[in-house]
Amino acid sequence: MASKPPKGHFHVLYFAAAGSYTSKQVEALPAPLPLSKLFATLEGRYDGITAGVLENSLVTINLAYVDLPGTSEGGEDVMIEEGDEVAIIPPVSSG
Amino acid sequence: MASLHANGTLGGGDDSQNQHDSNLDNGTSRRLTDEEFDRYSRQMIVPGMGKEGQLRLINGRILIIGAGGLGCPAAQYIAGAGVGTIGIIDGDVVELSNLHRQVGHSTSRIGMKKVDSLITHLRDLNPLPTYIPHPFPLTPQNAASILSAYDVILDCTDNPATRYLISDVCVLLGKPLVSAASVRTSGQLIVLNCPPAPQGVLADGPHPPCYRCCFKNPPPPHAAPSCGEAGILGPVVGLMGLAQAGEAIKILASALHLPTHTGEANLRQPTLLIYSYDLAGAVGPYTFRALRMAGRKKTCFACGEGSEGRLTLEGIKDGTPDYEVFCGLNATPKGGGLSPQERITAGAYRAARERGELEGHLLVDTREREHFSLGRIEGAVNVPFGGLLMKAAAIKREGGRGAEILPGVGVGAEAAIFVVCRRGLDSQEVVEKFKELGLDNGGKRRIMDIVGGMKAWKDEVDPSFPFV
Repeated sequence: MASKPPKGHFHVLYFAAAGSYTSKQVEALPAPLPLSKLFATLEGRYDGITAGVLENSLVTINLAYVDLPGTSEGGEDVMIEEGDEVAIIPPVSSG
Repeated sequence: MASLHANGTLGGGDDSQNQHDSNLDNGTSRRLTDEEFDRYSRQMIVPGMGKEGQLRLINGRILIIGAGGLGCPAAQYIAGAGVGTIGIIDGDVVELSNLHRQVGHSTSRIGMKKVDSLITHLRDLNPLPTYIPHPFPLTPQNAASILSAYDVILDCTDNPATRYLISDVCVLLGKPLVSAASVRTSGQLIVLNCPPAPQGVLADGPHPPCYRCCFKNPPPPHAAPSCGEAGILGPVVGLMGLAQAGEAIKILASALHLPTHTGEANLRQPTLLIYSYDLAGAVGPYTFRALRMAGRKKTCFACGEGSEGRLTLEGIKDGTPDYEVFCGLNATPKGGGLSPQERITAGAYRAARERGELEGHLLVDTREREHFSLGRIEGAVNVPFGGLLMKAAAIKREGGRGAEILPGVGVGAEAAIFVVCRRGLDSQEVVEKFKELGLDNGGKRRIMDIVGGMKAWKDEVDPSFPFV
């Protein structure tokens, strides 16, 4: 598992239920990609992941929380750049 | 001990500077007993702790909600450190399947209330603290009166509805909340509402987030499996519980929860710690991740703008919001529309098999591979639910043949299909999916749900079945 994505790509980390859904911990996707297109891009690869996982998850870019554009929080759209690390973090409830 | 708290609640959100200072002095002026010196010496000599920190622990009150995989290790280290008042709330009893991870219980205490079992263990470890048992579940009705008697709250629970309830009550009471969760090989930890800010206040922020600021919506019920359904490794959940103890101890010892303390700067950057344990690989670059979280959200239901008008302690007691509805617990399963002819009890299925009526039928078991590997009905083929749904969606999108979803085990296109899962919910959805994909040949082929899943199989047919 490389810690740097290949040239022209960014990494997506899938935690908890996101990892179960995709059967991956990490993968590289082509950069740049507007944050507003992230969910649609992932939906194209993993059917049903938006409703099943993404809508309840929080998203970070380079270890910092981001509000998604178009939600009630009205986050600004940002560009996910080459070399960035995006993480999908669903809530975990058990203990 | 109670008198030390008589002149002000440590966790209060509006303590004046004076009260705050007198609170800090209050506990730190007495002498430690010889036993306390001996018992706590190794932690008191750690820089930053000292006798003052130790006395703040002794005067502190921590509530541990949940005496399970998180609560056991958290309670052990909190008791060991000498926190003076330790409340534990849990309505469950100790079961054999708890013990690989819930190490504050014991084989000899199976069947005992978890709260009593854990306190037995803690008293043996350290008899000095006051232990307060709450041997019943936390509910919207009892939450506020219980939480109000403590300075720091630990969420060691196992379901989304209780997590939202605890966070809401902590916002309303101004209590710092140390929240952790763990399932399978993942763990999460975050300190919330610390130092507490009054509900609805956004000025002079950022203020610390609550659970809803981080996770606005609960996961859909099938995506939030319990440890009983999805599995859990002891060290994974244990590490999260230990981290909770560590956070709670520092909050009390350094008085980080008091609004005016200079230490608050340390908590201005809320951080979510993620632990990802890889059963098949050594520690790697993604094992620990510390993620910078945002502060209080303007739009947060519980603590954001105008939240005073929609979330109150009285309202929670009266059932608003309804946490079970919010978390989808009362929702009917997607396959709730199955007709009685499409459903069969485990007992009736077995009887039909024995009469030879099901010759050549296909039995699909949609449990996870690990469950299937522990035991199955003879002849069952395993098609795990998650993968099945994804494949169904792909077939629909790409216009493939519906039959591609079935395992290639050479069953005829007329053969009846029976679907079984763990407890009988997923199987109903799968029957619906199979019909959507046209596998029922316009009603000519029987597709049946086995009611109640493998749990019902164990209860009705085979008591020796290794149901997990």
